[in-house]
Amino acid sequence: MDALIIIFITGLIGLFVGMLKNSRLTLAVISVGLIAGFLSMYYMNDYQSIFQSYQGLQFSRTQHMFALLAIGLTFVSVLLGYTYFKEDEEHTSDYYGLMLFSLTGALCLIGFSNLFMFFLGLEILSIPIYVLVGIQKGNSLSSEASVKYFFTGSFATAIMLFGIALVYGSTGSFEMNEIQMALDMGMSHSPMLNIGVLMMMAAFLFKVGAVPFHFWGPDVYQGSSNAVMAYMASVVKLAALFAFVHFFNFTFHSVTPFVAGLILFAIVVSLFLGYLSALKQTSFRRMMAYSSIANTGFALFAVLNQQYGEASLWIFMIGYACSTIALVTINMIVEKETDNIANWKGIGYSNPLIGITLVISLLSLSGIPPFTGFFGKYLLLSSAFTNYLPVVILAIIASLVGAYLYLRLMVLALSKEGEGNKLKMNLTQIIVLILCLGGILGGWLVLLI
Amino acid sequence: MEQLNNIGASLDFYIFVSIALFSIGAIGVLTRKNMIVLLMCIELMLNAVNLLLVTFSTFFGNGEAQIFVFFIIVVAAAEATIGLSILIMAYRNSKSIDIEMFHKLNG
Repeated sequence: MDALIIIFITGLIGLFVGMLKNSRLTLAVISVGLIAGFLSMYYMNDYQSIFQSYQGLQFSRTQHMFALLAIGLTFVSVLLGYTYFKEDEEHTSDYYGLMLFSLTGALCLIGFSNLFMFFLGLEILSIPIYVLVGIQKGNSLSSEASVKYFFTGSFATAIMLFGIALVYGSTGSFEMNEIQMALDMGMSHSPMLNIGVLMMMAAFLFKVGAVPFHFWGPDVYQGSSNAVMAYMASVVKLAALFAFVHFFNFTFHSVTPFVAGLILFAIVVSLFLGYLSALKQTSFRRMMAYSSIANTGFALFAVLNQQYGEASLWIFMIGYACSTIALVTINMIVEKETDNIANWKGIGYSNPLIGITLVISLLSLSGIPPFTGFFGKYLLLSSAFTNYLPVVILAIIASLVGAYLYLRLMVLALSKEGEGNKLKMNLTQIIVLILCLGGILGGWLVLLI
Repeated sequence: MEQLNNIGASLDFYIFVSIALFSIGAIGVLTRKNMIVLLMCIELMLNAVNLLLVTFSTFFGNGEAQIFVFFIIVVAAAEATIGLSILIMAYRNSKSIDIEMFHKLNG
């Protein structure tokens, strides 16, 4: 709970520090604030918080893990953005400030226990992102992405709100526990409730970027900058997926069988559409956007798994987010005027760190053991194995297509052509790559605890 | 509260009005091309939600939903601010506020 306040205030202080026009100092202030937030979240149970009495935000053990992961991934995104943002010394703090405000929203969305906090978290998460996507003012692609994201995003928000109003109308409460109780007693299974749940589900599918509401993803990812894309693909997706799973595993768990068919449909179509469309892309960020649609399809298996859904989602997301951030960092290093994949030709041999990170993160994304990506997929699929066997088989076929996509990129990067051009890396980029490697290699060790 | 609870008989009426407002907004978002009209349609949808929440709040006789309405109003204001500034930025880059003008990102 204190972590939220610390992070929000750090964002504000960062904006003021930005007036000194010293991007290194801004980065230092933001990093200290994020580390303080992380520690205060980590030792949450060891001291008496002044906000302890507020019931709207409660972090259980899983929620605690998710919150720590969100703060960690934001820290990595902030480091990743440094090389890019420092070109624009005057506005560096704007990026960092907006990212931290958005992280505040993500933490609300992870720890909510009533619909007030849920709605506020969703909006505090999204509104800074609308701005971050369009922050390259002169760039017409960036402003186009921002316009598209804003209009589709606020349309989804309105649908979500109507769903919330209908759920309130049929259960009479905004508290998650009371809604769950009203549903469990079975008194309020009315058409109104079902329509409300369906509308909320549509908005959730939009926010996580799953088919049939995925169309904004590729455009927005391509139009935004690398650092913002890394943040959106990791933290925003993590928070939205967690809220989705939390809603449908606990509060709506008596309604979930009713929507299970729709979720299975979304999973299958996301997987195939994501991977097959990614095959024909030439822009790297657009390809990663389609790959993120497909990975969302995998993550949605967590919605159908009431017992271990959230824990499997955690393992899956740490593998996916670390690999994506590592690949985006490499893209940032090799990017020239455009983010065409052809830039990647032969970068693997002459730059050992880039080569190793690239191979490991692509293998993890394809789901090859012993990396974290494999354990995430294994946990998600094995739980669905007994009840939804055909869908699991389809998912495995789709992941073969995905493996082809990732291995093709690996072959391109390790080809002999274009060998020998050393790439320049900053210290922050090296740190990001090493942190991501740590996450991919060691993320699954959490299972042993 | 006694008096307020008496709307039960006409509850349907309020719900229908609210659904009508919401649908007008949604259809507007899906069919109109002018970005300012799109913003207005989204505001219309949010106000339909407000009406629905206030109706339920009086029906159940608790004020929680009315507090939610205040949250929605604040968030709608923030969204409109961000939306208008994004719109101005887009206008500077493309000299148009027609949503059809934005088709450079595709594939």
